[in-house]
Amino acid sequence: MTNMVNGADWAALAPLGIVAVTALVVLLVDLVARDHASRNASIAIGVAGTLVAAFVCARGYGINYAAFGGAFVQGGFSTVFQEIVLAAVLGSLVLFAAIGKETRVAAAVALMLWSACGAMLMAGAASLMTIFLGLELLSLALYCLCGLSDRPTAREAALKYLILSSTASGFMLYGMALLFGASGSVQLSALVAPALAVSPLYWVGSGLFFVGIAFKLSLVPFHTWAPDVYEGAPLPVTAFMSVATKAGTLAVLARFIYAAVPSTIAEKLLLPIWVIAAISMIAGNVGMLAQHDLKRLIAFSGIAQVGYILTALAGGSALGLRYAIYYLVAYAVMNLGAFAIAATLSGDGEEGSRLANYRGLAKRRPLAAALMSVFLIAMAGLPPTAGFLGKILILSSSVSTGYAWLGGVLIAGTAISLYAYAKIVRAMYGRDEHAHPHGAAPAVPLAWASAIICAVVVIVMAFYPLTPSNILPLVR
Amino acid sequence: MTSSLLPVALGNYIALSAVLFFMGVVGVIVRRNPLVMLMSIELMFNAANLLFMAFARAWMNNAGHIFAFLVITVAAAEAAIGLAIVVAVFRTAKHVDVDDVAMLKG
Repeated sequence: MTNMVNGADWAALAPLGIVAVTALVVLLVDLVARDHASRNASIAIGVAGTLVAAFVCARGYGINYAAFGGAFVQGGFSTVFQEIVLAAVLGSLVLFAAIGKETRVAAAVALMLWSACGAMLMAGAASLMTIFLGLELLSLALYCLCGLSDRPTAREAALKYLILSSTASGFMLYGMALLFGASGSVQLSALVAPALAVSPLYWVGSGLFFVGIAFKLSLVPFHTWAPDVYEGAPLPVTAFMSVATKAGTLAVLARFIYAAVPSTIAEKLLLPIWVIAAISMIAGNVGMLAQHDLKRLIAFSGIAQVGYILTALAGGSALGLRYAIYYLVAYAVMNLGAFAIAATLSGDGEEGSRLANYRGLAKRRPLAAALMSVFLIAMAGLPPTAGFLGKILILSSSVSTGYAWLGGVLIAGTAISLYAYAKIVRAMYGRDEHAHPHGAAPAVPLAWASAIICAVVVIVMAFYPLTPSNILPLVR
Repeated sequence: MTSSLLPVALGNYIALSAVLFFMGVVGVIVRRNPLVMLMSIELMFNAANLLFMAFARAWMNNAGHIFAFLVITVAAAEAAIGLAIVVAVFRTAKHVDVDDVAMLKG
């Protein structure tokens, strides 16, 4: 193996480098700027750096280059997932302007950017080592982000997330060690060798690997951390976490499913994943019914939505992968939009998170209620939104690849979820029995802009089902 | 082999690391002190490290060594962040027990 590192390798990492350096600049500016100025400067620098990274990243879309001896793949699939992560950063950064006076914004922005680096590394990772490094970079920064605010619930969320997520990392790492032992290589491309089909190390290793992945994706039965951590973490962090963690981990899982399983045993080996995806679709939507907090609701909704995305991946068709990406983009946009609306309602901090505050919202803030309805309708998967088209595409792929039973579970799950989403919409447009002592709406132009852009994208995407065509090959 | 040190069979390494890993898992599940839980997680990581080293020798592939170094670094960062969070949570509490941290009910 010739392993000369050249300029093209470093160019493949350029978007990550830009994001990481931006984080350093944010911290440096925070040293010299005044308190209030630092807040705005951190957000402005963060947004600018993210936009530059997104531009540089997009230019690598057509490249398909395996950098650093195949450890990191640039272009196509990786680019799409990296852009989703960057969109999550943008949509979450602007929310810092709206809320959390007590939060140290510069530190939070820097940590979020580093966390995004981790997710972007996972998006391009084609070796076990890069996957682990990306996952830990993403997670370590997120533990700190969860605990940044002074509220005791935030601290508790950080502790829970730290212990449970590290345990999951431990499972995943042990699985990786066994996979290395089975194949003798850390490259994902070495894991397709037919001889592995009979190796017990491979079976146990991939099983533990999947446990780690299922935890990070908060699939049932490894989901219990998600509602607690989502509720405890500051709103922008929850918004980021709900999109970036899932995008990064789904990239790893998709690459594994499509490019690192011996074809002879793929159906048998992956069956447990489809089963827990099915359970997640039901349990996530049922769990949603009892929630009184928007963040917890979105946590349960996210459990189910990942189940939908996995339904698209079942069967391993190239078209399924494209539909999964389409639905992931839709999921990212509707989540970021819903969190942006919650931020516009937060007078002092976390008010926008309590569902009781949405009662009679249409009278008080008609635009907020209308936009929130769009996002909830999209999450429920009703027309005319991207959520609807996404589910139709996923259903068609599940039928054509012989996983119609997963499609059936998807329909059942959707039916359950309709009630939970409709309840909120009805409350918003119903009468307000309690007089809410609401002051003037906080001036948060960035959060409004983000919400409106998300709403437009959610509706426009329903009419232009663009899915990326340059997604295979995933590894070299 | 003429060496006085008998070569240890690969299976023994796997068995030892499995025992260490299992001890770590049980520690996380059973113990209620977050510091001990963090130590148990370290045990899981290091069980994986032992496996990486053993397989690196078996396959004559030094990627396993590099991976182990990477894990050691990451585990150090994880311990630093973990201790910081534990201190932040329990600064006001007299004793340290995760059962007392239960405002959020999953």
